[in-house]
Amino acid sequence: MPVSDEQRMSEQEKDLKSYGLMNLVEGETPHVGKEPEEMTTTWPHLLVKELNLFYLVMIFIMGMSVFFDAPLEEMANPSVTPNPAKAPWYFLGLQELLSWGPPFWGGIFVPTVGVIILILVPYIDRSRVGTGLWFHPSRRLYNILFTVFVVVFIGLIIVGTFMRGPIWGFYWPWEPWPTH
Amino acid sequence: MIEKVKNIVFQNRFWKSVFRHGMPVNARLRSEAVMSNLFLHIHPVKIYKDSLLFRKTLGLGLISFYLFFILCITGILLMFYYIPHVQRAYQDMKDLEFAVSFGMILRNMHRWGAHSMVALVFLHMCRVFYTAGYRHPREFNWGVGVILFVCTLALSLTGYLLPWDQLAFWAITIVVNLIETMPIIGDDLRYLVVGGTLVGQNALIRFYVMHVMVLPLLVTMLIAVHFWRIRKDGGLARPE
Ligand code: HEM
Repeated sequence: MPVSDEQRMSEQEKDLKSYGLMNLVEGETPHVGKEPEEMTTTWPHLLVKELNLFYLVMIFIMGMSVFFDAPLEEMANPSVTPNPAKAPWYFLGLQELLSWGPPFWGGIFVPTVGVIILILVPYIDRSRVGTGLWFHPSRRLYNILFTVFVVVFIGLIIVGTFMRGPIWGFYWPWEPWPTH
Repeated sequence: MIEKVKNIVFQNRFWKSVFRHGMPVNARLRSEAVMSNLFLHIHPVKIYKDSLLFRKTLGLGLISFYLFFILCITGILLMFYYIPHVQRAYQDMKDLEFAVSFGMILRNMHRWGAHSMVALVFLHMCRVFYTAGYRHPREFNWGVGVILFVCTLALSLTGYLLPWDQLAFWAITIVVNLIETMPIIGDDLRYLVVGGTLVGQNALIRFYVMHVMVLPLLVTMLIAVHFWRIRKDGGLARPE
Protein backbone atom coordinates (compact mmCIF):
# COMPACT_ATOMS: atom_id res chain seq x y z
CA MET A 1 0.00 0.00 0.00
CA PRO A 2 1.43 3.34 -0.98
CA VAL A 3 2.24 5.61 1.93
CA SER A 4 1.06 9.18 1.67
CA ASP A 5 3.36 12.05 2.38
CA GLU A 6 1.30 12.94 5.35
CA GLN A 7 1.63 9.47 6.81
CA ARG A 8 5.35 9.46 6.26
CA MET A 9 5.63 12.85 7.92
CA SER A 10 3.71 11.74 10.94
CA GLU A 11 5.86 8.61 11.11
CA GLN A 12 8.96 10.73 11.11
CA GLU A 13 7.47 13.07 13.61
CA LYS A 14 6.82 10.16 15.94
CA ASP A 15 10.46 9.23 15.67
CA LEU A 16 11.52 12.76 16.32
CA LYS A 17 9.18 13.05 19.24
CA SER A 18 10.32 9.92 20.97
CA TYR A 19 13.91 10.88 20.35
CA GLY A 20 13.29 14.32 21.79
CA LEU A 21 11.53 12.86 24.76
CA MET A 22 14.38 10.48 25.50
CA ASN A 23 16.77 13.34 25.35
CA LEU A 24 14.73 15.32 27.77
CA VAL A 25 14.52 12.42 30.17
CA GLU A 26 18.23 11.85 29.93
CA GLY A 27 19.09 15.45 30.47
CA GLU A 28 16.93 16.43 33.38
CA THR A 29 16.51 13.20 35.23
CA PRO A 30 18.97 10.64 33.95
CA HIS A 31 17.55 8.10 36.36
CA VAL A 32 14.50 6.66 34.68
CA GLY A 33 13.10 3.46 36.05
CA LYS A 34 15.06 3.60 39.25
CA GLU A 35 13.50 3.42 42.66
CA PRO A 36 12.81 6.90 43.98
CA GLU A 37 14.02 5.81 47.42
CA GLU A 38 17.53 5.54 46.04
CA MET A 39 17.50 9.23 45.29
CA THR A 40 17.36 12.42 47.21
CA THR A 41 17.20 16.12 46.46
CA THR A 42 20.36 18.02 45.64
CA TRP A 43 19.19 20.84 47.84
CA PRO A 44 20.20 20.63 50.61
CA HIS A 45 21.90 17.22 50.79
CA LEU A 46 24.61 17.69 48.17
CA LEU A 47 24.94 21.47 48.41
CA VAL A 48 25.63 21.46 52.15
CA LYS A 49 28.35 18.86 51.69
CA GLU A 50 29.89 20.85 48.88
CA LEU A 51 29.90 24.00 50.98
CA ASN A 52 31.49 22.20 53.93
CA LEU A 53 34.21 20.86 51.69
CA PHE A 54 34.90 24.38 50.50
CA TYR A 55 35.35 25.54 54.11
CA LEU A 56 37.80 22.71 54.71
CA VAL A 57 39.84 23.60 51.63
CA MET A 58 39.89 27.27 52.65
CA ILE A 59 40.99 26.42 56.20
CA PHE A 60 43.72 24.17 54.88
CA ILE A 61 45.11 26.67 52.37
CA MET A 62 44.90 29.62 54.75
CA GLY A 63 46.46 27.60 57.54
CA MET A 64 49.35 26.62 55.32
CA SER A 65 49.77 30.20 54.17
CA VAL A 66 49.99 31.46 57.74
CA PHE A 67 52.66 28.96 58.76
CA PHE A 68 54.76 28.48 55.65
CA ASP A 69 56.15 31.18 53.40
CA ALA A 70 56.57 30.73 49.67
CA PRO A 71 60.25 30.64 48.70
CA LEU A 72 61.94 33.64 47.15
CA GLU A 73 65.61 33.43 46.30
CA GLU A 74 68.02 36.06 44.99
CA MET A 75 66.94 38.00 41.93
CA ALA A 76 67.31 36.14 38.64
CA ASN A 77 70.87 36.27 37.39
CA PRO A 78 71.72 34.53 34.11
CA SER A 79 75.43 34.55 34.91
CA VAL A 80 75.14 32.63 38.19
CA THR A 81 74.04 29.05 37.56
CA PRO A 82 72.92 27.20 40.68
CA ASN A 83 74.27 23.69 40.95
CA PRO A 84 72.16 21.67 40.65
CA ALA A 85 69.50 23.69 38.84
CA LYS A 86 66.15 22.02 39.30
CA ALA A 87 62.80 22.28 37.53
CA PRO A 88 59.57 22.60 39.61
CA TRP A 89 58.95 19.41 41.59
CA TYR A 90 56.23 18.07 39.27
CA PHE A 91 58.77 18.06 36.43
CA LEU A 92 61.62 16.60 38.46
CA GLY A 93 60.59 13.08 37.43
CA LEU A 94 61.14 14.12 33.83
CA GLN A 95 64.41 15.84 34.68
CA GLU A 96 65.52 12.66 36.39
CA LEU A 97 64.61 10.62 33.28
CA LEU A 98 66.49 13.12 31.17
CA SER A 99 69.69 12.50 33.04
CA TRP A 100 69.62 8.83 32.05
CA GLY A 101 70.12 9.14 28.32
CA PRO A 102 69.44 11.16 25.20
CA PRO A 103 67.13 14.03 26.23
CA PHE A 104 64.63 13.29 23.48
CA TRP A 105 63.54 10.03 25.10
CA GLY A 106 63.08 11.28 28.62
CA GLY A 107 61.95 14.76 27.76
CA ILE A 108 59.66 14.33 24.80
CA PHE A 109 58.98 10.71 23.94
CA VAL A 110 58.01 9.37 27.36
CA PRO A 111 55.62 12.22 28.33
CA THR A 112 53.98 12.34 24.89
CA VAL A 113 53.40 8.60 24.75
CA GLY A 114 52.28 8.72 28.38
CA VAL A 115 49.57 11.28 27.68
CA ILE A 116 48.40 9.42 24.57
CA ILE A 117 48.13 6.14 26.48
CA LEU A 118 46.21 7.88 29.26
CA ILE A 119 43.69 9.28 26.79
CA LEU A 120 43.30 5.84 25.22
CA VAL A 121 42.66 4.05 28.52
CA PRO A 122 38.83 4.09 28.28
CA TYR A 123 38.98 2.78 24.73
CA ILE A 124 41.25 -0.08 25.75
CA ASP A 125 39.26 -1.18 28.81
CA ARG A 126 35.86 -2.10 27.36
CA SER A 127 34.61 -4.17 30.26
CA ARG A 128 31.47 -3.07 32.17
CA VAL A 129 32.04 -5.01 35.36
CA GLY A 130 32.89 -3.07 38.49
CA THR A 131 32.24 0.41 37.14
CA GLY A 132 32.08 2.90 39.98
CA LEU A 133 33.55 0.51 42.54
CA TRP A 134 36.96 0.82 44.17
CA PHE A 135 39.58 -1.79 43.18
CA HIS A 136 37.15 -4.24 41.64
CA PRO A 137 38.78 -7.71 41.57
CA SER A 138 38.08 -8.11 37.84
CA ARG A 139 40.41 -5.17 37.24
CA ARG A 140 43.44 -6.52 39.03
CA LEU A 141 45.72 -6.35 35.97
CA TYR A 142 44.70 -2.77 35.11
CA ASN A 143 45.10 -1.66 38.70
CA ILE A 144 48.54 -3.22 38.97
CA LEU A 145 49.70 -1.58 35.72
CA PHE A 146 48.34 1.80 36.75
CA THR A 147 49.89 1.49 40.20
CA VAL A 148 53.25 0.74 38.62
CA PHE A 149 52.85 3.91 36.54
CA VAL A 150 51.96 5.96 39.63
CA VAL A 151 54.79 4.54 41.73
CA VAL A 152 57.38 5.14 38.98
CA PHE A 153 56.02 8.66 38.37
CA ILE A 154 56.21 9.58 42.06
CA GLY A 155 59.41 7.63 42.67
CA LEU A 156 61.26 9.54 39.95
CA ILE A 157 60.04 12.82 41.44
CA ILE A 158 61.30 11.78 44.88
CA VAL A 159 64.71 10.80 43.48
CA GLY A 160 64.96 14.06 41.52
CA THR A 161 63.87 16.17 44.48
CA PHE A 162 65.74 14.65 47.40
CA MET A 163 68.59 12.57 46.01
CA ARG A 164 70.22 14.73 43.39
CA GLY A 165 73.05 17.10 44.21
CA PRO A 166 75.69 19.04 42.27
CA ILE A 167 76.06 18.04 38.60
CA TRP A 168 73.06 15.79 39.17
CA GLY A 169 75.14 13.37 41.23
CA PHE A 170 73.34 10.88 43.47
CA TYR A 171 73.28 11.68 47.19
CA TRP A 172 71.14 10.17 49.91
CA PRO A 173 68.97 12.80 51.55
CA TRP A 174 71.13 12.66 54.72
CA GLU A 175 74.42 12.73 52.80
CA PRO A 176 76.11 16.14 52.78
CA TRP A 177 76.84 17.67 49.39
CA PRO A 178 80.53 18.37 48.66
CA THR A 179 81.44 21.99 49.28
CA HIS A 180 84.07 23.71 47.25
CA MET B 1 9.02 33.90 66.54
CA ILE B 2 11.62 32.15 64.37
CA GLU B 3 8.89 31.47 61.83
CA LYS B 4 8.17 35.18 61.73
CA VAL B 5 11.79 36.14 61.12
CA LYS B 6 12.06 33.46 58.45
CA ASN B 7 9.01 34.83 56.76
CA ILE B 8 10.34 38.35 56.78
CA VAL B 9 13.71 37.27 55.39
CA PHE B 10 12.66 34.70 52.80
CA GLN B 11 9.19 35.76 51.78
CA ASN B 12 9.71 39.43 51.02
CA ARG B 13 9.55 40.78 47.51
CA PHE B 14 13.23 41.56 47.24
CA TRP B 15 14.32 38.03 48.15
CA LYS B 16 11.81 36.58 45.77
CA SER B 17 12.85 38.90 42.98
CA VAL B 18 16.43 37.65 43.33
CA PHE B 19 15.89 33.95 43.93
CA ARG B 20 12.49 33.68 42.27
CA HIS B 21 10.93 31.79 45.17
CA GLY B 22 10.96 31.59 48.96
CA MET B 23 12.87 29.22 51.22
CA PRO B 24 13.02 25.76 49.61
CA VAL B 25 10.98 23.90 52.20
CA ASN B 26 9.39 21.18 50.09
CA ALA B 27 10.58 18.92 47.32
CA ARG B 28 9.17 21.04 44.53
CA LEU B 29 10.78 24.24 45.80
CA ARG B 30 14.01 22.38 46.38
CA SER B 31 14.08 21.35 42.76
CA GLU B 32 13.33 24.88 41.74
CA ALA B 33 16.05 26.24 43.98
CA VAL B 34 18.56 24.24 42.00
CA MET B 35 17.04 24.55 38.57
CA SER B 36 16.28 28.25 38.56
CA ASN B 37 19.68 29.33 39.83
CA LEU B 38 22.40 29.88 37.26
CA PHE B 39 25.16 28.80 39.63
CA LEU B 40 23.40 25.74 40.99
CA HIS B 41 21.72 24.43 37.88
CA ILE B 42 24.86 22.62 36.86
CA HIS B 43 23.62 20.08 39.42
CA PRO B 44 20.77 17.70 38.71
CA VAL B 45 17.84 18.36 41.05
CA LYS B 46 17.96 14.82 42.33
CA ILE B 47 20.90 12.54 42.87
CA TYR B 48 21.57 9.02 44.03
CA LYS B 49 22.07 8.77 47.75
CA ASP B 50 25.17 6.64 47.31
CA SER B 51 26.72 9.28 45.05
CA LEU B 52 26.73 11.51 48.12
CA LEU B 53 29.05 9.21 50.03
CA PHE B 54 32.44 10.75 50.59
CA ARG B 55 34.23 7.48 49.88
CA LYS B 56 32.85 7.44 46.32
CA THR B 57 35.04 10.31 45.15
CA LEU B 58 36.96 11.43 48.25
CA GLY B 59 35.85 14.86 47.06
CA LEU B 60 38.98 15.09 44.96
CA GLY B 61 37.45 16.57 41.80
CA LEU B 62 35.56 19.17 43.76
CA ILE B 63 38.66 20.08 45.77
CA SER B 64 40.54 20.54 42.47
CA PHE B 65 37.82 22.92 41.36
CA TYR B 66 37.84 24.84 44.64
CA LEU B 67 41.61 25.22 44.41
CA PHE B 68 41.26 26.56 40.89
CA PHE B 69 38.65 29.03 42.15
CA ILE B 70 40.86 30.18 45.05
CA LEU B 71 43.75 30.56 42.60
CA CYS B 72 41.65 32.77 40.34
CA ILE B 73 40.69 35.07 43.20
CA THR B 74 44.15 35.33 44.75
CA GLY B 75 45.67 35.59 41.28
CA ILE B 76 43.53 38.59 40.39
CA LEU B 77 44.51 40.26 43.66
CA LEU B 78 48.17 39.58 42.93
CA MET B 79 47.78 41.23 39.54
CA PHE B 80 47.12 44.52 41.29
CA TYR B 81 50.65 44.46 42.67
CA TYR B 82 52.69 42.68 40.06
CA ILE B 83 54.28 44.15 36.95
CA PRO B 84 55.80 41.65 34.50
CA HIS B 85 59.02 43.51 33.86
CA VAL B 86 62.47 42.13 34.56
CA GLN B 87 63.40 45.25 36.55
CA ARG B 88 60.16 45.33 38.52
CA ALA B 89 58.88 41.79 39.03
CA TYR B 90 61.32 40.75 41.73
CA GLN B 91 60.89 44.04 43.56
CA ASP B 92 57.13 43.54 43.52
CA MET B 93 57.64 40.17 45.20
CA LYS B 94 59.64 41.87 47.94
CA ASP B 95 56.96 44.51 48.30
CA LEU B 96 54.32 41.83 48.69
CA GLU B 97 56.40 40.37 51.47
CA PHE B 98 57.24 43.56 53.34
CA ALA B 99 55.02 46.43 52.25
CA VAL B 100 51.59 45.17 51.19
CA SER B 101 49.12 44.35 53.98
CA PHE B 102 48.57 40.58 54.00
CA GLY B 103 50.70 40.50 50.83
CA MET B 104 52.71 37.53 51.98
CA ILE B 105 49.59 35.54 52.90
CA LEU B 106 48.16 36.36 49.50
CA ARG B 107 51.27 35.14 47.75
CA ASN B 108 51.46 32.06 49.97
CA MET B 109 47.85 31.14 49.24
CA HIS B 110 48.49 31.39 45.53
CA ARG B 111 51.69 29.39 45.75
CA TRP B 112 50.45 26.60 48.01
CA GLY B 113 47.13 26.52 46.20
CA ALA B 114 48.96 25.96 42.93
CA HIS B 115 51.12 23.15 44.29
CA SER B 116 48.08 21.56 45.89
CA MET B 117 46.11 21.76 42.67
CA VAL B 118 48.74 19.83 40.72
CA ALA B 119 48.71 17.12 43.38
CA LEU B 120 44.93 17.03 43.79
CA VAL B 121 44.20 16.82 40.06
CA PHE B 122 46.60 13.90 39.86
CA LEU B 123 44.94 12.20 42.84
CA HIS B 124 41.52 12.82 41.28
CA MET B 125 42.73 11.06 38.16
CA CYS B 126 43.90 8.12 40.27
CA ARG B 127 40.50 8.01 42.00
CA VAL B 128 38.71 7.89 38.66
CA PHE B 129 41.01 5.13 37.44
CA TYR B 130 40.71 2.93 40.52
CA THR B 131 36.91 3.21 40.50
CA ALA B 132 36.76 2.60 36.71
CA GLY B 133 34.88 5.89 36.40
CA TYR B 134 36.16 6.48 32.86
CA ARG B 135 34.18 3.76 31.13
CA HIS B 136 31.47 4.24 28.55
CA PRO B 137 29.85 6.78 28.29
CA ARG B 138 32.52 8.74 30.14
CA GLU B 139 35.46 8.10 27.77
CA PHE B 140 35.38 11.63 26.45
CA ASN B 141 35.22 13.22 29.87
CA TRP B 142 38.30 11.25 30.90
CA GLY B 143 40.02 12.73 27.83
CA VAL B 144 38.91 16.21 28.83
CA GLY B 145 40.39 15.42 32.23
CA VAL B 146 43.75 14.43 30.79
CA ILE B 147 43.88 17.73 28.89
CA LEU B 148 42.93 19.52 32.11
CA PHE B 149 45.83 17.83 33.86
CA VAL B 150 48.25 18.98 31.16
CA CYS B 151 46.81 22.52 31.35
CA THR B 152 47.20 22.50 35.13
CA LEU B 153 50.88 21.67 34.72
CA ALA B 154 51.22 24.42 32.11
CA LEU B 155 49.56 26.93 34.44
CA SER B 156 51.91 26.00 37.25
CA LEU B 157 54.93 26.19 35.03
CA THR B 158 54.12 29.58 33.51
CA GLY B 159 53.45 30.95 36.99
CA TYR B 160 56.75 29.60 38.25
CA LEU B 161 58.74 32.12 36.19
CA LEU B 162 56.89 35.22 37.35
CA PRO B 163 58.70 35.95 40.68
CA TRP B 164 61.84 36.33 38.56
CA ASP B 165 64.18 34.96 41.19
CA GLN B 166 66.98 32.44 40.72
CA LEU B 167 64.63 29.53 41.39
CA ALA B 168 62.22 30.74 38.71
CA PHE B 169 64.80 31.65 36.14
CA TRP B 170 66.79 28.42 36.23
CA ALA B 171 63.81 26.13 36.52
CA ILE B 172 62.31 27.65 33.39
CA THR B 173 65.66 27.66 31.62
CA ILE B 174 65.86 23.91 32.17
CA VAL B 175 62.36 23.26 30.88
CA VAL B 176 62.90 25.53 27.91
CA ASN B 177 66.12 23.73 26.99
CA LEU B 178 64.08 20.57 27.05
CA ILE B 179 61.86 21.90 24.32
CA GLU B 180 64.95 22.28 22.16
CA THR B 181 65.48 18.52 22.15
CA MET B 182 62.24 18.01 20.26
CA PRO B 183 62.99 16.71 16.78
CA ILE B 184 62.55 19.02 13.77
CA ILE B 185 60.55 21.81 15.42
CA GLY B 186 62.59 21.99 18.66
CA ASP B 187 64.61 25.10 17.86
CA ASP B 188 61.72 27.08 16.44
CA LEU B 189 59.39 26.08 19.23
CA ARG B 190 61.89 27.14 21.85
CA TYR B 191 62.23 30.48 20.10
CA LEU B 192 58.47 30.85 20.04
CA VAL B 193 58.13 30.14 23.75
CA VAL B 194 61.04 32.31 24.88
CA GLY B 195 60.70 35.07 22.32
CA GLY B 196 64.48 35.10 21.79
CA THR B 197 67.48 33.01 22.60
CA LEU B 198 67.69 33.68 26.35
CA VAL B 199 64.98 33.67 29.00
CA GLY B 200 64.46 37.42 29.37
CA GLN B 201 61.84 40.14 29.11
CA ASN B 202 60.13 38.55 26.11
CA ALA B 203 59.86 35.22 27.88
CA LEU B 204 58.50 36.93 31.00
CA ILE B 205 55.69 38.71 29.19
CA ARG B 206 54.82 35.60 27.18
CA PHE B 207 54.62 33.45 30.28
CA TYR B 208 52.62 36.17 32.01
CA VAL B 209 49.99 36.44 29.29
CA MET B 210 49.65 32.67 29.13
CA HIS B 211 49.43 32.48 32.90
CA VAL B 212 46.83 35.17 33.56
CA MET B 213 44.77 35.07 30.36
CA VAL B 214 45.07 32.22 27.92
CA LEU B 215 45.41 29.21 30.20
CA PRO B 216 42.87 30.31 32.84
CA LEU B 217 40.28 30.88 30.11
CA LEU B 218 41.08 27.54 28.55
CA VAL B 219 40.85 25.73 31.89
CA THR B 220 37.59 27.50 32.76
CA MET B 221 36.12 26.37 29.48
CA LEU B 222 37.36 22.80 29.89
CA ILE B 223 35.99 22.62 33.43
CA ALA B 224 32.63 23.81 32.11
CA VAL B 225 32.69 21.01 29.53
CA HIS B 226 33.86 18.54 32.18
CA PHE B 227 30.98 19.38 34.53
CA TRP B 228 28.41 19.52 31.77
CA ARG B 229 29.48 16.08 30.61
CA ILE B 230 29.26 14.64 34.12
CA ARG B 231 25.56 15.53 34.03
CA LYS B 232 24.98 14.39 30.47
CA ASP B 233 26.71 11.11 31.21
CA GLY B 234 24.20 10.52 33.99
CA GLY B 235 26.07 11.66 37.07
CA LEU B 236 28.81 9.71 38.76
CA ALA B 237 29.64 6.26 37.47
CA ARG B 238 27.91 3.55 39.48
CA PRO B 239 27.45 -0.18 39.21
CA GLU B 240 24.70 -1.19 36.78
C1 HEM C 1 41.19 20.95 36.77
C2 HEM C 1 41.04 19.69 36.88
C3 HEM C 1 39.77 18.90 37.20
C4 HEM C 1 38.64 19.31 37.86
C5 HEM C 1 38.33 20.68 38.47
C6 HEM C 1 37.75 18.16 37.89
C7 HEM C 1 36.51 18.15 38.51
C8 HEM C 1 35.70 17.03 38.61
C9 HEM C 1 34.55 16.90 39.48
C10 HEM C 1 34.04 17.97 40.45
C11 HEM C 1 34.02 15.66 39.29
C12 HEM C 1 32.82 15.07 40.02
C13 HEM C 1 33.25 13.91 40.89
C14 HEM C 1 34.35 14.20 41.85
O1 HEM C 1 34.25 15.19 42.59
O2 HEM C 1 35.31 13.44 41.85
C15 HEM C 1 34.81 15.02 38.26
C16 HEM C 1 34.58 13.75 37.73
C17 HEM C 1 35.34 13.14 36.75
N1 HEM C 1 36.60 13.55 36.34
FE1 HEM C 1 37.45 15.32 36.77
N2 HEM C 1 38.34 17.11 37.22
C18 HEM C 1 39.58 17.52 36.81
C19 HEM C 1 40.53 16.74 36.16
C20 HEM C 1 40.32 15.45 35.73
C21 HEM C 1 41.33 14.57 35.23
C22 HEM C 1 42.81 14.88 35.15
C23 HEM C 1 40.69 13.41 34.85
C24 HEM C 1 41.25 12.15 34.23
C25 HEM C 1 42.30 12.04 33.53
C26 HEM C 1 39.29 13.57 35.11
C27 HEM C 1 38.30 12.66 34.82
C28 HEM C 1 37.04 12.65 35.40
C29 HEM C 1 36.01 11.65 35.13
C30 HEM C 1 36.10 10.48 34.13
C31 HEM C 1 34.95 11.97 35.99
C32 HEM C 1 33.63 11.16 36.15
C33 HEM C 1 33.93 10.19 37.26
C34 HEM C 1 32.79 9.33 37.68
O3 HEM C 1 31.71 9.40 37.05
O4 HEM C 1 32.98 8.57 38.66
N3 HEM C 1 39.09 14.82 35.67
N4 HEM C 1 35.83 15.86 37.87
